[in-house]
Amino acid sequence: MRNQKKSSFAWRNIIESRLFFPLIALFLILLFDFIFIPGFFTIENRDGNLYGSLIDIFRNGSTVMLLAIGMTLVIATAGVDLSVGAVMAIAASMAGILMNPSALRNEVFFVTDPTYTFQPLWVVIGAALIVSLICGVWNGVLVAYMRIQPMVATLILMIAGRGIAQLITNGLRVQITYRPYAFLGQGWIILPFSLYIVAFVYAGTWLLTRKTAIGMFIESVGINFRSSFFSGIDEKKIKLLVYTFCGLCAGIAGLVASSNIRTSDANSIGLMIELDAILAVVIGGGSMAGGRFSLLASMIGALVMQAITQSMYAVGVPAFALQAIKAVVVVFVILLFSEQVRSFIRGISAQKKEV
Amino acid sequence: MSESNQNILEMEGISKAFPGVQALDSVNFTLRKGEIHCLVGENGAGKSTLIKVLTGVDRPEAGRMILDGKEIHTRSPQHAQTLGISTVYQEINLCPNLTVAENILLGREPQRFKSIDWAKMNADAVEILKRSLDVDIDVTKPLGIYTVAIQQMVAIARALDIASAKILILDEPTSSLDEHEVQQLFKVMRKLKENGVGIIFITHFIGQVYEISDKTTVLRNGKLIGTFDTASLPRFELIAKMIGRSLDDLDEMSKIKLESSKHIRTEALLKAKGLGHSGAISPFDLELHSGEVVGLAGLLGSGRTEIANLLFGIDKPDTGSITFAGDEVTDYSPLGSIKRGVGLCPEDRKAEGVVDDLTVRENIILAIQANNGWFKFLSVQEQYDIADKYIELLQIATPSPDQPVGNLSGGNQQKVILARWLATNPHLLILDEPTRGIDVGTKAEIQKLVLSLADEGKACVFISSELEEVLRTSHRIVVLREREKVAEFSGEVDENTIIHAIAGSEA
Amino acid sequence: MWQRVNEFISNNRKFIPIFSTAVLALAAYGIGAYFFVGMRNPQVFFNLFRNSSWLLISGIGSTLVILTGGIDLSVSGVVALTTVASAVLLREGWNAWGVILLMLAMGMTLGAIMGSFIVYLKVQPFIATLAGMWFARGMCFFISDDAVTIDDRLFRILGKTKILIPGLTEYAAKQGNPAPYLSIPVVVAFILLIVAIYITQFTRFGRTVYAIGGNEGRNEQSARLMGLRVNRTKLLVYTFNGFCSALAGLSLALFVYSGHGLYAPGFELEVIASVVMGGTMLTGGSGYVVGTLFGVMVLAVTQALIQFIGSLSSWWTKIVIGVLTLIFIGVQTGLATRKDDRKMAQDPQELEAEKIRRRKQALVWGGFVILVLLAFIFIPKIMGGDGTETAEVVACEVPPYREEEAASLIADGAAIAYNRTAGPQCVDELFAIYPDGRIIGNDGVNKVEKQLPPVDVELLLATISEDYGWFTDDIYSTYHNPCRQCFTHYIIASYDGQQKAVTAVDGGTDMPPGYGLTLAIIRSSLPEINPAQ
Repeated sequence: MRNQKKSSFAWRNIIESRLFFPLIALFLILLFDFIFIPGFFTIENRDGNLYGSLIDIFRNGSTVMLLAIGMTLVIATAGVDLSVGAVMAIAASMAGILMNPSALRNEVFFVTDPTYTFQPLWVVIGAALIVSLICGVWNGVLVAYMRIQPMVATLILMIAGRGIAQLITNGLRVQITYRPYAFLGQGWIILPFSLYIVAFVYAGTWLLTRKTAIGMFIESVGINFRSSFFSGIDEKKIKLLVYTFCGLCAGIAGLVASSNIRTSDANSIGLMIELDAILAVVIGGGSMAGGRFSLLASMIGALVMQAITQSMYAVGVPAFALQAIKAVVVVFVILLFSEQVRSFIRGISAQKKEV
Repeated sequence: MSESNQNILEMEGISKAFPGVQALDSVNFTLRKGEIHCLVGENGAGKSTLIKVLTGVDRPEAGRMILDGKEIHTRSPQHAQTLGISTVYQEINLCPNLTVAENILLGREPQRFKSIDWAKMNADAVEILKRSLDVDIDVTKPLGIYTVAIQQMVAIARALDIASAKILILDEPTSSLDEHEVQQLFKVMRKLKENGVGIIFITHFIGQVYEISDKTTVLRNGKLIGTFDTASLPRFELIAKMIGRSLDDLDEMSKIKLESSKHIRTEALLKAKGLGHSGAISPFDLELHSGEVVGLAGLLGSGRTEIANLLFGIDKPDTGSITFAGDEVTDYSPLGSIKRGVGLCPEDRKAEGVVDDLTVRENIILAIQANNGWFKFLSVQEQYDIADKYIELLQIATPSPDQPVGNLSGGNQQKVILARWLATNPHLLILDEPTRGIDVGTKAEIQKLVLSLADEGKACVFISSELEEVLRTSHRIVVLREREKVAEFSGEVDENTIIHAIAGSEA
Repeated sequence: MWQRVNEFISNNRKFIPIFSTAVLALAAYGIGAYFFVGMRNPQVFFNLFRNSSWLLISGIGSTLVILTGGIDLSVSGVVALTTVASAVLLREGWNAWGVILLMLAMGMTLGAIMGSFIVYLKVQPFIATLAGMWFARGMCFFISDDAVTIDDRLFRILGKTKILIPGLTEYAAKQGNPAPYLSIPVVVAFILLIVAIYITQFTRFGRTVYAIGGNEGRNEQSARLMGLRVNRTKLLVYTFNGFCSALAGLSLALFVYSGHGLYAPGFELEVIASVVMGGTMLTGGSGYVVGTLFGVMVLAVTQALIQFIGSLSSWWTKIVIGVLTLIFIGVQTGLATRKDDRKMAQDPQELEAEKIRRRKQALVWGGFVILVLLAFIFIPKIMGGDGTETAEVVACEVPPYREEEAASLIADGAAIAYNRTAGPQCVDELFAIYPDGRIIGNDGVNKVEKQLPPVDVELLLATISEDYGWFTDDIYSTYHNPCRQCFTHYIIASYDGQQKAVTAVDGGTDMPPGYGLTLAIIRSSLPEINPAQ
């Protein structure tokens, strides 16, 4: 029996798999779409690129998916990062200003040339990512070394970060016209380009956490950091790593978002999006008390959120009602994953497994 | 007045079982009015379970309780309180951010026209403290600034004030007190005794047992060993009853021990000189040799775990140094120790050992992986191989290596932790209570395992509350008493000698 | 000497955080008054409270929640919901007092619902109140997508009544200044403050609140063991905060005279920052309600200072507040009695030495804060603040939009009519851009003209219409009371048979991005009316 590494196909394994709940949720929403929204599943092929409502879900959800990847790791260490929206804004501002620094001279000039950029693309993206890494390190140091509560520590950057973003663009909205940059959020290679970015980040993170010991250490620290300490794991370094990484993901998300709306708006980019990211992780089964995580489940959670948004739009629900509906979903999911339900399930499986 | 009228509490035939372990086995306990009664026993003996049953935290499977002549069934600590059973725990269950007066009267603050009358509350608090405990402190300061001793007094004052207490339970109250504060507490206890309150005093300080108590009850492994008149029980006998003097056949084990002692290196692997941590353990010297098992014997709180933690780098020493394989140790940390080839199987498996949501396999390879660092990841195949090996070796009962460790029984969890450290193949392995909560058969296996480790050339430190285990397994025994190393004997020493050393008396 | 200072601090250590915040607020104001003549007018001081009455009200309620170790993120949602709901109800003709009562009841209900989730379903406060916020904001839009103005007589009275301060009226008259005044919401806020102080210090309920929080959550367990009604208290605390959020919303409505679902963005963060700076620890169990008053003052003074400095934009406020919050948390952590103290209790001398060390550290932190504040004032001056430090206090009475004039310009053939008002110089400018490239503008005093190539105008219009979506639902009107330096904008564009007018105010995060872009390219084409200014 010990040689059976992959247990035989059993319903219980599916139900207890972390992907179960978010997939079911996604399935239900798509079912709803299939029944009530004609043409929701149609996929057009225009010049080799695929378009359609289904594709849109992925495209519009890519920012939250990116954030959810970083947030998953942070929450797994029993922490939280409230500053991701602000970091998005900072990265977007950095990128915007490097392509169009007119704002620094207090001018806003109308750029018509889509090939114009003040700095080459790699400098633009590189600087934005470096800035977001710095933000991540800041959070990490506050939480891991100064032992400030994660909610409080990241709250500071959440408040100050918007100010910093506006500092970078001198308070003005920077218009973005540089085509190659706009490709990040709006480009298409068969599928939307942002999807490839998400896939790349996901693949990289998966390699980093599952093909090295990092993933196991993160989970260990989140579950019981004292036992992890006794086993020789340096909790401080792990926490510093996850917050830094979350900052990086936020930076990437900021680039995609600003490329999507073609502007670096320090005020509105990523506003309140941290809450979406946290919820995506929770829908994906992540416990805010830390522990086991699944990147895929969190991304599916992000898709669930986006699918709800998209479906409501398609059905004709006005944009604003969405927030109320999101709240209902949150409540439902939280109840589903609440302690009572969890211990109920655990009780059932424990009875069968205890030797 | 007949005997039974003098009994404030009678517990008869109390039994309580948890999954895998019989915590109490038909225990009887009697407490008289105005009596200070000590409850002693090592960890796992059943003391806290007995108190939990009494105060309604747990329900017994069998037995009954009679309080002042009437049968009772306690439902919760609050309920027990209303019946007159008050408990003061080692962890002060008060609010350190509120003032002393508030803590005493929280929930019952005196009011004037529906708003709190602070002046009266403070005055009342002063009066209560004076009246029941003869203690005089500034009640307007927050509780948190006071020492644990004072906080305990406040807790006692609150407990007494709420309901006219018939029974006061003090659960390890002296662990954080210095000598002067202990005397203060005893003064209070004697005053309560005069007032007819029955006191159950749980402690592991033998000296205090003799100083304050009228009667002593000894529990061991869930069974009642006996209830004695403290004054007429010699210290030596008390300790013998607590940690056991068994007539088991030691022959097989002593043969193994004799064999392995031939392999002991003369050159010391680890030398600790003047190693100490203030408040935890007085400076001590210790030498550990490859191929040798050194046992640490002593009562709970004598400093055994503290020595283990110092040797492994959990705590940094205030004085002294450690030389390992000739080099002086500079990085005191678990990772540093692992890299040197030292392992520690900790005492508290729940808080310091097990990572309960991770699987058996992951728990076993955790320390190895920590040693490898982030990037030298053991391949999945390697992980399974290692896990399988130790599951087999230690006979860990689990359906598969992918079972979350939290689902395993306590004994099996302990085996997983042991496997973790064995897997690191250390030069020195420190085992702090490795057999606690494990069934008898497995206990013997583990003891044999420890000796075989020594046979392979490893140095071992073996800590246990069960003296017979220590004797069976160790080539050399170090005795600790009240956070100080007091003696060192060869492994062939007589059990009585050790018990005397622990007791601090002459054989 | 250290000994005596140490002793004084020892005896009153619980008040240190409040003292430091109060000192900071007053010192900051003092420094500001020294450098900026305008700040010496007492009205500016009172405006601190007028402009943040809703922050104070909400802060008081949130302090109680945080004292229990919880948190309430829903406050901004409830505030916005209150503004919208009351605006709409008043528009429908409801009785004003009825509306007020209904709003308060609504706030309490929402608070109670969230409280139940937290207490009985054991949902983490962070998540439960977050859901509450989304729900509340969503409900705003069910009621109305656009901003709704409030025109009710009672509301006008409640909001605009000037409560004169006895004694200062004569003093001001001597100075030749208008009499300084407070508003009714400010008075309400202070009454609430007194009530809250009474509750927290003199009622069993209040003491239970303190007992629940702190000690890393262990207090809650201890409180239960002590027989306190923890669940009931927690539920009431969230209900009370719901009441305060609604009251704050009414207070805001009385200030801006409108309601919109996008109001008070990020408000919950300001509230938390105020509470933290007021000395209440986020872990709960320690802190005083009066501290929140000083925390609010710090925020208000920061905002005022930045406005007076002028050359810094209002977003510096966010950075400063972030930095201040960090420093305060640093001070708090330094002063807190830590668990290590117990171990050191064995050695009383060492404990005392440690305490002295920590207090020195705290004082250094405090000094650092003052330095940071001074830096914010000095550095921009050195870098060239020009003459704006003596800016007039007189608030700019924002003139109504010149709607008819603009409409007639369009009827006359203009493609774009743009009316810009307020701003630091308090202007009222009207521009018109014609399809043939002609641009005219006037501010009531001066006139200006400019000629562009017609193709530029065509391009401009095409960009606005197609790229930014001027005529789609993506661009809509928003309005709020402008800040000191902010402009308000009114743009009519006529193109391709379509015509649409949209208003907006600077500094609003609610402004649709397309509007901002439109503004940018329009203004880049416009001539300066009075280049000498």
